Formats: sequence, structure tokens, C-alpha cells
Amino acid sequence: MEVKEDVDADGEDQSTGDDVIDISFCGSTPLLWKVSDIKRCRGAGVIGALVGSLARQPRQNVRLGRPLELMQEEALMLEETTSAAASLHTQDCEDEEAARQYEAALESSYTEQCTLALEDKKTVLRRIMQEKENDTDDSGNAVRDRLNALDQAFSFPRSAMAIQLCTARAGFSHCPDERSFPSTDWPMPRDERSEIRFRVYRDLRSKGYYLTSAGKFGGDFLVYPGDPLRFHAHYIALCMSMDEQLPLCDILAIARLGSNVKKTVLLCSPQKPSETGKDESIEEGVVYSSLQWSSMV
Amino acid sequence: MADSETSADARKHKIFQELLSPSELFQARCQSHKIPVKGQKDFLPNASEHQRSRLQQSLDEHWTLLQEERVERLGNLVKAVWVSEERRVELQSPAGKFWHSMGFSDRGKQCLHAEEALYLMECGNVQVFYRDLPLSIQEGYERFLSSETLTVDQYQVYGHLKRLGYVVNRFDLSSVPSEYERQLNLPASVDRQRKPVKRKRSQSPVSSDNRSTSPLEKTTAEHQSEKQVKSNESLAGQTTPDQPQGELMESLPAPEDSSERTWWTEEHIQPPSAQSQTRAPRWDFKNLSFPDLGSWSRSACLESPDPSLLPGALEVGDCHMTPWLRRLNVKEEKLSRRQRDRQRDRDRYHRDINRDPKVRDCGNWAEYIKLMEERRRQQQKQRPAHLWEREVTPLTQPGQCTSHREVLERISIIKSSSWWEGVSRAPPADQWKISFDVYQPDTVAEFKKSHPGKPYSRICVCSFDGPVPDLRIMKQLSCQSGDVPVTFAAVDHGDISFYCFKNFRLPSDVY
Repeated sequence: MEVKEDVDADGEDQSTGDDVIDISFCGSTPLLWKVSDIKRCRGAGVIGALVGSLARQPRQNVRLGRPLELMQEEALMLEETTSAAASLHTQDCEDEEAARQYEAALESSYTEQCTLALEDKKTVLRRIMQEKENDTDDSGNAVRDRLNALDQAFSFPRSAMAIQLCTARAGFSHCPDERSFPSTDWPMPRDERSEIRFRVYRDLRSKGYYLTSAGKFGGDFLVYPGDPLRFHAHYIALCMSMDEQLPLCDILAIARLGSNVKKTVLLCSPQKPSETGKDESIEEGVVYSSLQWSSMV
Repeated sequence: MADSETSADARKHKIFQELLSPSELFQARCQSHKIPVKGQKDFLPNASEHQRSRLQQSLDEHWTLLQEERVERLGNLVKAVWVSEERRVELQSPAGKFWHSMGFSDRGKQCLHAEEALYLMECGNVQVFYRDLPLSIQEGYERFLSSETLTVDQYQVYGHLKRLGYVVNRFDLSSVPSEYERQLNLPASVDRQRKPVKRKRSQSPVSSDNRSTSPLEKTTAEHQSEKQVKSNESLAGQTTPDQPQGELMESLPAPEDSSERTWWTEEHIQPPSAQSQTRAPRWDFKNLSFPDLGSWSRSACLESPDPSLLPGALEVGDCHMTPWLRRLNVKEEKLSRRQRDRQRDRDRYHRDINRDPKVRDCGNWAEYIKLMEERRRQQQKQRPAHLWEREVTPLTQPGQCTSHREVLERISIIKSSSWWEGVSRAPPADQWKISFDVYQPDTVAEFKKSHPGKPYSRICVCSFDGPVPDLRIMKQLSCQSGDVPVTFAAVDHGDISFYCFKNFRLPSDVY
């Protein structure tokens, strides 16, 4: 799907062109890569889940790093409230210029790192010399000789140069980014079930709760009263349509699970817009029922 | 237009804002490698300053960890190139330690699969180039993960297991030994990719004109020798009719071959040109005695064999068994008192079938079986009429069932089926397929890429949104996997849960 560049000219969202949150799709999974985007989303209440290796320690599973995987509902929410767009795969354009620029940047980085390393070494030697001044032996002279000879004798091999392995797209090539704004064009499946989930998500979000996915708890969402970094979840939300029939044993199972993990189970159903000629843009709210064990006294 | 220019510039600024300057790169050499521990969570948010500051602290820690970029020494990085036509990565500098358990060689080039390359990029070991520009991790995800290589879910499971230390390989259906191979119990080190080792054949003294027909001859010789053995057994003590023997003899054109293969038969097959007359079988089975060296009463001397049986002018004297018997453990077993008592109880009602005179009269197995059948039928004739002639008969005869399991089997209506029964030959649906072989972390030191051996488990990746596998799919997958258990990895937005279905048989013996 190609979106022409002049989309930037119209629409009030696009006037500040650099404030668009780039959602990158891998198959049908929305991912966020830039830290600034992730920060903005968290500010808007979208938490997501980190699924990549952490740069500091890649070989552990306790804390993961970028990319941030979004739930489908979170991506739709971002599209509604903030200006988010799906960045589609850029075409493979032949760009020899970009390769040359990259090489040039690498060279200049190398020379700069050489000088930095030289300076660093000099500082170290000067510090040693300073310490040795206090002693009364001749080792200080040897250090001074080394310091003077450093400019000629110092070598910083190319293999010692530090290189950055970029996490997010670095944009070396000059191919124009293509973006798709309307969410109907995004490669996410939209069916009745995802509509129900999205309405429940939006309603809970508007009430100020933070939501993450709850597959392991047998539900659709985990509902937090505050930021998940600092608070435990209070509810497990299960989304279903108003006229869906749920067998009693399923209700018992989910209630049992909820009481085991000390969370209240919420059955959430969006109200159907009534047929009597109401304006379609006004949607009804969401009905919540909570399950609680009661004793017969 | 000025507007679009500034927006393009601004966007470029945003794109490049995650690049580190050379001084930052230099500083990054001494960055910390410890991960701060997450503290205890609170239950209810109140508007207290304490909570707010702790939240801010957690968030700052969070952003610091996320913002860090991977900085590596150029000398530590392995350079590689993404080849999109082949959907794999080719190394351009020698591989590092990861080569021990990852990667493969193809036409002299060291290569990595898409998921291996992406994982190594995330670990900071490999720098992959595409069209002379280095790929970022984001571009790696976008280019390497597709429906033809791996989905994002499968890669998440791959990364999770690799980070825990397992060795994970792609599943290859041809590496699973078939049912027949398993029955043959081939050694585990049989490697299919290797060329079949040429077995050295022993020299067969075949004249050149007979070579083309020698394989046929060999098989016919085998058949003949088998026939001879059978005919000799059934005609023990009798002379064989001349006719069939003569026919057998004459159909052998190449005597040297057959003599080689049939040296173990009792008949020397001599060139038909030399002898045309038939000979009676050499062995008289009634007089053959097989020495019983285990029992005490044996005289400790074996007679020398018939000199006509021995090759050439070899002379063999009597064989004295005493020194050999001394080497055998023929000491009498000293049982403890309890064991002796137990033995006595067992032997009290033991009737040795060999002492039965009727059994001794049986000349061969067929007669013995007939005798047993007759006895069983007679026993049945003795059944009391009031028990056996009515509509309801007893379930078993006394002495017929020796354990509870046998009794239960007689009354069972629902037959238990084994896991392998009823597996349809059709391959399972596309969404259910085995993705990976997993080997345990503590075997990494001895792991060999050429002989990986039997994996610890095989992984099938599915999603929490999708359906639960039904019995048919589970049977098909475990049949595909052979004797290696299949583990289902359910992925839910970064959370991975592993499920395994274990075959369980209800105990049928009641003690």
C-alpha cells in the first residue's frame, strides 16, 4: 500500500511531521522500536510487552529489551488518540551513495576514537607519573619517557574501534519512508471478537486503568490501578458479547482461577447500540459483572 | 516547499537520534553490565509522594536499560551478509564460539539460518550487511522473519530457549528414524547425510565368465542349502531319495561360490563333474550327543571328531574338559535358608513336564502341541454341567487366569488403544507443525553438529488466541516426532508457556 508523500500536507495531525509514532508490522504483529515512541506510548497509558534481548545482558530472560510488542487494541488506541502510523517496509532501492557515506562516517569515527584513546592513555600515564613523583625512585623517569614517546609509539588498531549495532532503523539509506495512517489498511485481522475486545479496552483505558494481556491467567486483559511497574493487577477481564452463552463449568473454572491468584474476575460486554434510530457515532458503554465467591450461611 | 523540507529534516533528525557519537561510543566501553533488581510492588495507588518517587525511579531505570545501545569492538564482531534469495546469512569472517552449536556449511561457506543470525545480532556477536550497509535489529526482524522462514512467535520461542542455554535446531522430518528403523534398533550414530560406507567384500574366487551370474548363484545356493538342511532334519536317520538330491546338485554351475557360502552345511557340495552319485546324509541325529558341561555327572572327556570331517591332515585328540570346567562357574549355589524355603514351596507343586511319559513319546513339536490340545479338551469335558451348560457360564476355568489383569481383560468392554493407533497418514494442518529440536544445556560441551543425537524434546509453537490441539493433531505430531516427546509452546505477547502431554496408562493389575 503506497501512501504519497503529500499526505503530510493535509490533516492536522501531520503538521508536526516528526511526532508520528512509527508502528512497524512483522506479519500481523505491531512492534515499536524507538525509545521515544515507547515513552510516548507509556505516557498515553499503552504498556505493551518487551520481547527482544536486552542490550546490556542479552543472554538472560529475566528482563527483556526492545522491540515492544503491542496488542492489537493498543495499536488501534494509539491510532485514535495520538498520531501513529504503520511504517511499511521500505523498498530496496539501490543507494551506493549511502554506502559511501556510511564508510566515510566509519572513518571519521575511527580517527576521532584514535585521538580519544591517545588522550585517555596520556591521562593515565600522567596520573601514574603524579603518583610516582611522591616516591623517590627513578621509575618516574621511565614513565615520563613513555609519555613523551607516546605520540609516535601509540597505535590504535582498527579492530579496537567501537561500533554500534543499532536497534532501531538507523536510516542510512535515503529511501523515503512510506507510512499508512488509516488503521483499516493495517495488516491486522478485524473480526467481531477483536471489535468487542477493543471496545472493552477503550472503556477501561478511559477510566484510567492500565491494561496488559492475560493469556496466562485465562482471560483477555489484566487490569492495573496504576503503572504495572509498581502495582499488582486487580482484575482479570474477560470479554464476551452480550448474548454469548457461557457454560456454568467455565464460569466456575475462571472464578476458581481468579480466587487462586487473588484477582477479581470481570466479565465485560459492550452494550449493543439500540435499534431505535440513535446516532451511530454514539456508542453505548460496557457492562461489567464481577464474580465473587459467597458462602451460604 | 519549505514545509516539507523542514519536516523531512526534522524526520531525519528523529531517525538519527539513536545513533551514538564517537565519544559516546568510546565511553560505552566501560558501561556497567549489571541489571538492577525490581523491587516489591504496592497494592493500591494513593497519591503519596513516596509512591510517586518510587514510580519515577523505576521508570528511570526502565528507560536507562531500554535506551542502551549495543556497542562492540570491531575485532569481536563477525562480518556476515544477508542473501535474500536463499533466505540465509553467509559469514565473511571466521565464526566465533557460537559455531560449536549453530550454523552450517554449504559449498565451503559458513552460513547461518535466519533465526540464528538474528539471535546472534541481538547478542552482539555478528554484524550483518545487506547491500554494503549494516542491518539494524529492526531491519533484521523485518527482513529475516517472514512466513517462509519463521514467524515472530516462533522466533520468540527460539530466542527464549537460546537465552536459557538450550541448543535449538530446525526440525528436519527426514532426520526422524522411521518405525522400521526403530525396530531394527540401529545405533544412534547413523548419519543419513554421510555417504554409505562401502563395505569390503571378501574375495570370491569366481572365474570371469561367471561373475555376472554370481549373485544369483549365491542366492540359489542359499536356498538350496536351506532346503538341504530342512530335508535332512525331517528325514533323520533315513536315506534321502536320490532324485531330488541329484537335481539340486546339477543346478549348481559354480561350485566354488556355493562352497564358500555353504561351508556350514553338513553336506560337502563337490563339483558335480567329479561325483554324480548322491550320498546319504552324514549325520545320524539319534546318535549325536551334545555335551552337557553344566551338570556334574558328565565325564570330563570329549571324543575326537571323525577325521573325515577335518580339513586336510589335521589330527585332533581327545579333549579333556576338566581344565575347561574349572573355568566355568559350576559351583553349587549356596542358598540362604529363606531362599531354600521359598524354593521348596515353589517346588512342592511343581510337576516336571519332561517326566511325563506321554510327552517323552512325542517325536517332535507338532505332536507335543497335539497332546496339549487333547489334554485341554479333555479337561473341558470334565466341566460340571450346572456351571457350563446354562446361559451364564463362569468367566474362566480354574487355573486359567493367573493375575487380576487377565481377569479384567476378559470382562473389559472398552478396549484401551495405544497412542499410535489410528494415526492418519495425512500431514497435519499447516498451523500445527513441529518447528524445532531442543537439546539440553548440560550436553552443550559434547554437542556435535554432525551427530546431534536424539533431541530432548521437539517444540510446536502455537498462540493463545488459536485453538487447543485436539487428539488427532497430538497423535499426528507425536507420530511425526518418533520417540521424542513433543512440547507445545504457547505464546501470548512475549509470555511463553510450555505444555507437554504425557501418555498415561491406567494400571490394570490390582495387588
